[in-house]
Amino acid sequence: MRGENKRSVIVGIFVFVGIAILVAGILTLGGQQKKFVKAIHLKAVFDDIGGLQTGNNVWFSGVKIGTVRKINFYGDSQVEIEMNVEEKVVDFIRKDSKATISSDGLIGNKIIVIYGGTTVAPPVEDGDRLESVMPLDTDQMMETLQVNNENLVEITGNLKNLTSKLAEGEGMVGAALTDSLLAESFRAIVRNLDQASINSNRMINELNSFTSKLNQKGNLFNDLVTDTTMATDLRQSMESLKEAAANSEEMTQKLSAITDKFNDSSNSMGMLLNDPEFAETLKSTMENADSATYNLNRGMEALEYTWPFNKGFKRKKKAEEKVNN
Amino acid sequence: MTEKAEDRKPLLSKKIDKFFTGLANAWNFVRRFFKEVFIPPYEFKEVVHQCYRIGVESLPLIALTGFIVGIVFTNQSRPSLSEFGATSWLPSLISIAVVRAMGPLVTALIAAGKVGSSIGAEIGSMKVTEQIDAMEVSATNPFKFLVVTRVLATTFMIPVLVMFTDFVALMGSFLSVNANESVSLTTFFVQVFEAISFLDIISSVLKALLFGFTIGIVGCYKGYNSSKGTEGVGRAANAAVVMAMFLIFIEELLVLQIVNAIRMM
Repeated sequence: MRGENKRSVIVGIFVFVGIAILVAGILTLGGQQKKFVKAIHLKAVFDDIGGLQTGNNVWFSGVKIGTVRKINFYGDSQVEIEMNVEEKVVDFIRKDSKATISSDGLIGNKIIVIYGGTTVAPPVEDGDRLESVMPLDTDQMMETLQVNNENLVEITGNLKNLTSKLAEGEGMVGAALTDSLLAESFRAIVRNLDQASINSNRMINELNSFTSKLNQKGNLFNDLVTDTTMATDLRQSMESLKEAAANSEEMTQKLSAITDKFNDSSNSMGMLLNDPEFAETLKSTMENADSATYNLNRGMEALEYTWPFNKGFKRKKKAEEKVNN
Repeated sequence: MTEKAEDRKPLLSKKIDKFFTGLANAWNFVRRFFKEVFIPPYEFKEVVHQCYRIGVESLPLIALTGFIVGIVFTNQSRPSLSEFGATSWLPSLISIAVVRAMGPLVTALIAAGKVGSSIGAEIGSMKVTEQIDAMEVSATNPFKFLVVTRVLATTFMIPVLVMFTDFVALMGSFLSVNANESVSLTTFFVQVFEAISFLDIISSVLKALLFGFTIGIVGCYKGYNSSKGTEGVGRAANAAVVMAMFLIFIEELLVLQIVNAIRMM
């Protein structure tokens, strides 16, 4: 009898603990799913709820504040969502808050997210309808991604062609990458460019120094640029030069007329310069003159020794010797 | 009367006739149970005694099994989830698996093996040793004393055992999750209860009641209808386990369909 009693107590404890586990589970579940808290009902109308189900969570500022209570069709093809929202958070949700559909993580359950709202608007009340914002459509995102993918495929295809051509040494860049001679030439060019840049640097420095000298006061170039008196003088010189040029032009024209006349055989100078017959005659005249001069010279020499002229020559000789001594 | 029936020409075939006869007998057995269960006198002491044997005495084995199931299932699921970098979902996954299916199923299968066989063997040996006939002679209703008490005990003890199994399995899972993912007990249980719903708990309890009833009624039926001496006792025990396990799986499948249909509503 005592054993039976003990057994009954143990069974009672066993059942009690089992039921306690069940009750604890139910209470925890109810507490977590906000089944036993006072709640108000809020509504929102969406065009597409993307698989949202009754019992899905409602979040506000990242905190679970309720669950989806009912999903009903509304109007032509819209869907009205009725939510249970904890009464204690009502003060934080304003009438101008918005509701959208999101997901809990990348591949998690759908959730309703309430956000926004200003302190200007009063807190929501039971039965209020929140403004809904359509969530990003995954299909549209995927379509855009598909276009991006196609572009990417094309780009990678082009890149593949380009790199294969580069690897095969085609084109300028390919040759530059693969041809050792070209590379050496490039290296030489770069060296030359390097040298040229050094030289140009030096030249620039020298130019700098030169221009600084030019800019010094009293320098001719500086005066040229800055001295107004010199500019006036220069202008006058230019005028004179112009005048001289005009004169020289006139002179040239006159010279040209003279030379034209020289070229014309009708005048004496033209005949002298251009007429071959006259030239021949002149030549023969000159030969005759030369021969006459020679004969005259011989005549004169003969005169030196001829009386009375020989005395005159002797006196001249003596005077010359006297001068030399 | 039995000999006359055997002499009769079979309606369809001998085996098919035997199957349907067995089904009809089982149905009558169940019907008799529901009739007897509400008619006084009530054998409370015997029910408590059976509850002790079926519930309390089975607790260590079932709790240990549940604990191992929790750890093993967690460790087996981890690699798959870690491929997606989703090991943080382990508590949710384990809670759904344990509460919805594994808790009731593992408890029922272990109970079918331990309790079902013992009920079948016990009542079978009483049958072959004519103790049941002796009870009838001594004005004690053997069906009420032996069958109703045991079926009631299994029906009510299996759900309690399922609660223990669920708890112990989740604790086993927590140990594994805590060791590998450094998740605190609070976070673990928050995630566990986030994944399940009231429907899961209700269906789990109802399923456990159904499994408990099945284990009890099958064990009692097989034992009550055993024959052919000690060999028949062994057969009854074996058949009780096999049939109970088979029916548990069938019921699991049917309940799953019904619960899913309710979940979709």
